[in-house]
Amino acid sequence: MSDITAPAPAAPNPAPPAKSSILRMLWADKFATVAVVFLGLVLLCAIFGPLLLGDAAGGQNLRARNAPPFSLERGWLYILGGDALGRPLLPRIVVAAQNTIAIAAGAVAASFVIGAALGLIAGYSRRIWSEVIMRLADVIMSFPSLLLAVIVLYVLAPSVLNLVLVLAITRIPIYLRTTRAEVLEVRERMFVQAAQVLGASTFRIVFRHILPVILPTLLTIATLDFAFVMLAESALSFLGIGIQPPEITWGLMVSQGRQYLTSAWWLAFWPGLAIILTTMSLNLLSSWMRIALDPTQRWRLELGGRVNG
Amino acid sequence: MRFTGILGGALLVSAAALGAASAQEGEVTIVLGEELDLIDPCMATRSNIGRVVLQNISETLTELDVRGDAGVTPRLATSWEQTDDTTWRFDLREGVKFSDGSAFDAGDVVHSFERTQSGENTCEISRYYDGMGIEMTAVDDTTLEVTSEDPQPIMPLLMSLLTVVPSETGMEFTRDPIGTGPYTLAEWNPGQNIRLERRDDYWGEAPEVTAAEYVFRSDAAVRAAMVETGEADIAPSISALEATSDTLDKSYPNSETVYLRIDHEVAPMDDERVRRALNLAIDREAFIGTILADGTEVATAIVPPTTIGWNADVEQWPYDPEQAQTLLDEAAADGVPVDTEISLIGRTGNFPGATETYEAIAGMLNDAGFNVALQMVEVAEHEQYYSKPYVQDRPILVGAQHDNSRGDPVFSMFWKYDSEGRQSGIADERVDQLIDDASAATGDERTALWSELFAYLHDEVVADALLFHMVGFARVAEDIDYTPTIATNSQLQLAEIGLN
Amino acid sequence: MGSAQALPVNVEGAETPVMHKAVGKRAISSLLSLFGLVILVFFLSRLTGDPAALFLPVDASEAMRQNFRELHGLNDPVHIQFVHYLGDLVRGDFGDSLRKARPALDVVLEAFVWTLQLAVITMTLVTVAAIVVGSITAFRVGSAFDRFASMLSLVGASAPDFWIAIVAIVLFSVNLGWVPTSGTGTVWHWVLPISVLFIRPFGLILQVVRGSMLSALGSAYVKTARAKGVKNRPIIFVHTLRNAMLPVITVIGDQAAALLNGAVVVETIFGFPGVGKLMIDSILQRDFNVILAAIMVTALAIFLMNLLIDLAYALLDPRIRT
Repeated sequence: MSDITAPAPAAPNPAPPAKSSILRMLWADKFATVAVVFLGLVLLCAIFGPLLLGDAAGGQNLRARNAPPFSLERGWLYILGGDALGRPLLPRIVVAAQNTIAIAAGAVAASFVIGAALGLIAGYSRRIWSEVIMRLADVIMSFPSLLLAVIVLYVLAPSVLNLVLVLAITRIPIYLRTTRAEVLEVRERMFVQAAQVLGASTFRIVFRHILPVILPTLLTIATLDFAFVMLAESALSFLGIGIQPPEITWGLMVSQGRQYLTSAWWLAFWPGLAIILTTMSLNLLSSWMRIALDPTQRWRLELGGRVNG
Repeated sequence: MRFTGILGGALLVSAAALGAASAQEGEVTIVLGEELDLIDPCMATRSNIGRVVLQNISETLTELDVRGDAGVTPRLATSWEQTDDTTWRFDLREGVKFSDGSAFDAGDVVHSFERTQSGENTCEISRYYDGMGIEMTAVDDTTLEVTSEDPQPIMPLLMSLLTVVPSETGMEFTRDPIGTGPYTLAEWNPGQNIRLERRDDYWGEAPEVTAAEYVFRSDAAVRAAMVETGEADIAPSISALEATSDTLDKSYPNSETVYLRIDHEVAPMDDERVRRALNLAIDREAFIGTILADGTEVATAIVPPTTIGWNADVEQWPYDPEQAQTLLDEAAADGVPVDTEISLIGRTGNFPGATETYEAIAGMLNDAGFNVALQMVEVAEHEQYYSKPYVQDRPILVGAQHDNSRGDPVFSMFWKYDSEGRQSGIADERVDQLIDDASAATGDERTALWSELFAYLHDEVVADALLFHMVGFARVAEDIDYTPTIATNSQLQLAEIGLN
Repeated sequence: MGSAQALPVNVEGAETPVMHKAVGKRAISSLLSLFGLVILVFFLSRLTGDPAALFLPVDASEAMRQNFRELHGLNDPVHIQFVHYLGDLVRGDFGDSLRKARPALDVVLEAFVWTLQLAVITMTLVTVAAIVVGSITAFRVGSAFDRFASMLSLVGASAPDFWIAIVAIVLFSVNLGWVPTSGTGTVWHWVLPISVLFIRPFGLILQVVRGSMLSALGSAYVKTARAKGVKNRPIIFVHTLRNAMLPVITVIGDQAAALLNGAVVVETIFGFPGVGKLMIDSILQRDFNVILAAIMVTALAIFLMNLLIDLAYALLDPRIRT
């Protein structure tokens, strides 16, 4: 079992909705639709932003220091204003999207994969392994994340990758515990018992029968967690032990701008808004997924009628 | 648990208490940025402790006049003289009582000194007497004799750092400091507040402030807001950004100097041309009034201009990126690896605007042809780069802030420039010699030697990239009369506060 | 920051504890985890630099540093230090704070009292508010109130808390003058920190209450009751709520655990002397003994809280009370 590295795609047990019906269900929830569009936009910024606007975001110009927003005097790049070093905020936010999304996505993906794998093992193997893994989860869970950040960033170096490492470790228990709890329940179900009786291999049972059932739950958590990790990253920046300049993330921009809150509110406001909108979109998407991926709730969306957030 | 008690008590306090900082007549509330871990007088040279303890609870034999130019003035000593090369004699004030009622005499001073030297504690004042071989003897109750191995012409100034405790004080750190000062420690709730109250039996003139309450907030914006809302009367340090009120906010040179320390052993920084280029590539003036506050001065020495020997003839580096590029090209032609990536280490939150300052410097250096990568680190990591043994796997510039409000360069030069100094990036025989000579010299000769050293370091050795003498901002409520000084960083005498 | 952000699916329903035995078993496994944690923290934190260099000024001599290390037993090899530490721990001695020269446990307990108060008050308010508002939204799905409450809680839960905190100070203290900016002393000092802490758990618990109330309302047994013509709304409400409480309690537990670990950001900004502020200061200053003592105290508190939660489960759901 130890060679499990990623949950392999498998034919989910409860028949998956077809693509077109997914879109229809999405359309049924207007909030979720807007959220997905917005997240798509953020993703585009994250991928292409640094290529297109990287130079503009780095150029210092002390004369444009704290330039106020909504003025086209200095060109459209300054439409959201300038920061403390006179760098235009709009391109900086676009460029920072890359690090922000990379950190959150990296941390979520890593903790998802590791947590789910360990959870599957804990849920489906002998007691002793289960115990060991659960105690490990407890240890990680009560390990102060700030201390972990300081240790990793001190012993290694403060880089995007190491920050991903810190955040990923702290989030593993969420996936681990959820996966295990679900596995314990699912493996008692009829179809799993049947597969066992029919002599299916453990590997096959786990990947073909159990994983597909718990995947929707995990995906819902991951979406929410994405938002949580973004906020955690910004809190670390605020405390001065997160990512550091010249790297930029939205969280760092907010925490650097906070001292100007009374004199130049836009420094902290725009990146803050970017965080709020993104986490909100993720929350909305997660609520939608909770319903769309749940066979017993799906009808709400398929009817296209009253929508529940 | 204290839970119900505290909550119940809190509920009883009505809304009327809101914003009533100076509720009692003659009391002031002072909001500081850093909490006190300890309150032991022998740690008073640490600025956050000194602000509360120094000259309020504990007094020293002498005091440096930072408001006028009287130099070293009497406090617990009334007069002093040098009896021979290595001996000083201090006459002590009579009729002085500690706050526990015991009388102050020369024996207390001897004990206070010995306490700082004890291995049973980690008193930091002792660093100022390190390696001087100082011995103290109580000749009689009011006469103290201080000897040293080598001549110590600034002995009276050194005595302005030694806080006096009663001879009954144990060697371990105390949480109940007893001193001769005008105030006593009345209350200390760790994490919340410290309260000092005025003594009735103080030897000197009774100060106007009857009690002082110290509270701690790490966010500068919150500190400024507290004076505005009346929750505090004095915030000795707020950021320049918050200092927007003409009536409340007062700027003061805060004795801090920001510079980039260069390790001369690592290429390409071992080349003088590269160091010159570095200095020429930074547009220092551009920072002032923008990222850093108005009133910040471009530095040509590591000590502020009010220090003796500060050399007004040393000219600050002009901003000349073209000249910098030319120097770099010359060096490159001679095979100096000027393209090597140089790490610029900055410390987050070291001073207001630190991150922006270092980002801007890195930008300027890169524009001038350097290959600089900025690395902002927290305090413990910064220490790894700042002090010996140095990290030498790559060229490193360490951005640091040095504080000397004591009026004499001796408190800086050995550590920062002597070949054995813990933060020194250079090893230059003439520098070592000048530091030795100046430390032993007196009067005009001392001044001249320090001046010579400053010019030599700046113009010929190009030891480092000196940047700015910083200013601080204090916010003082309207009904309070207080003017901050260059020493406000390290001491805040309640006796200097007036009430309108 | 801090620990778990839980979801209704997180219920460890599979482990139905038989109370007494379960408590004993849990105590043992928790103790094991705690021991693992202490080992990990002890050795890892000592990789992060020299406390002597941070305690003493940069120009202190090597002899002074040496003396500091000697006094605090930092000169011994790390494993010897650990043995000494364990020995002291067994005798109930958590060591002295390197920075404050007093017992680390005293320092931690002092701060923990504040954090405990903050956590208890905040969680009580959050729980009451989230259940009331969440129930209303569940009973009135799709109404304007439902949408408004969901949206508002979502916005609140999506904003960085330090941002909210500073905006709140500027708005409510400086501009409006309603409450003090920060600190402790009167009941008014608690308003802002609690309000800021309130927002995120409220949004989260509200969603869980609403979701699980909806499921409960849709369950066969409430439908039957309605079909039978039970018009009495309070009765339906009480029954639904009771059924819907299990996942809610899990989330409340996880949120409370996060608060017991200390609300670092909020405590830092509001100058609140809690364990979160103590933790970040001790970490940055490498005050190892305080870090360890804080971890152990909060771990014990969270363990006790989890016991309470199990008790609540048992009271709410007779099936668990075997």
